[in-house]
Amino acid sequence: MRIDVGISVRAMSLLSLWIAGAAQAHHSVAAEFDPNKPTSFTGTVQKVMWMNPHIYTYVEVKSAEGASVVYRIEGGSPNALYRQGWRKDTLKAGDVVMVTGNRAKNPESLNIGQATIAADGKKIFTGVGPAGVAAAEP
Amino acid sequence: MLLALLLPGTLIAAESAPPRMANGRPDLSGHWANPYTPDMAAKGSVLDPQTLKPLQMPRTELKDAKSAASGPGARTLDLPYTDWGLKRWKSYDPVHDGDYAGSCLPFGLSRNMNSPHGLQIVQGADAVAFLFEQNTWFHWVPTSGQKWPTDLPPSWNGQSIGHWEGDTLVIETSGFNGYTRLDTAGHPHSRQLKLTNRFTRLDASTLQHSVTVHDPRAYTRDWTNLRTWRIKPPADMIMEYSCEESSLENLFNGTIKPWKPPENDDED
Repeated sequence: MRIDVGISVRAMSLLSLWIAGAAQAHHSVAAEFDPNKPTSFTGTVQKVMWMNPHIYTYVEVKSAEGASVVYRIEGGSPNALYRQGWRKDTLKAGDVVMVTGNRAKNPESLNIGQATIAADGKKIFTGVGPAGVAAAEP
Repeated sequence: MLLALLLPGTLIAAESAPPRMANGRPDLSGHWANPYTPDMAAKGSVLDPQTLKPLQMPRTELKDAKSAASGPGARTLDLPYTDWGLKRWKSYDPVHDGDYAGSCLPFGLSRNMNSPHGLQIVQGADAVAFLFEQNTWFHWVPTSGQKWPTDLPPSWNGQSIGHWEGDTLVIETSGFNGYTRLDTAGHPHSRQLKLTNRFTRLDASTLQHSVTVHDPRAYTRDWTNLRTWRIKPPADMIMEYSCEESSLENLFNGTIKPWKPPENDDED
């Protein structure tokens, strides 16, 4: 994994706490994701869709039997992430990441929200944070 | 200027004074960071419009309400609802009934002002334009006596008229279609909603903003929020923002239920 932005990963991790508001701003994230369905897994980044109002990181998880599932990890808005120093190539296809978050209320959805992505133990454009604080004041 | 340079405190005061237009009005122009306000009824934020003191709300839990649409916890008696307003507050369910914001339809003036993405104010002698980064929306406010046609249809953001009270710009807005909510939490309003937004530029980098909600169908009394906006750094410029970019897929795959206008279009 390569992080090629001009601020430290530590600073980015702290700033990532800032993003939740942006993630929640366009629609009700609480309405989309179920806090009673927490999930955590390790997988491989397929692609990052750097799009408004939320970026999506596609993460493939393979079972021991070889079955593959691709989850869509919802993040903050690209504009807020950009202002924090993240770039669309901060994560690249093939990076191994650990994801924690909540499953969607729709049981058929493979979206993960209110999520944290960690690579090499460092948080990457997570959508987790105290509600209303984030962009709280972007 | 020379005097200002010779007197250290004077220069600071001169730089922080609110800028003014050629006509003497305060110039509110700038790229502003507005506090993200997903819940306008957060404890301590619901104020009396005259005294700006907090209104005491029962805040008892509404056990028969839908689950909260923003933040943890259950919905409560957090605003002075009428029966009509309380029914709308308890029943708001964007997951099952359709999410107009997730469908990228206009959020409404209140939610635009509450958004976390910042906004640009462009002020002219006769009007003020609000350029919301959120979804690249705009709102036009005449300030010199121009009137909107009286037969305009109701709209998502309503029609605004501005006037000056001293150094404060007062914007009154009505003509809402009633499809929106005041905030992400889903606090209701009817077509009778009238918003009064007041803006006072306290200094070069600070804008005081208050909004008063008047809606006798939804609330038994008027109430106010008061917030402070900060100017953004010069390098932070307003950016393009397309809600549809990734929401379309969420609408297609069922993550977000598409919103449809109510069949009974009589405010319910």
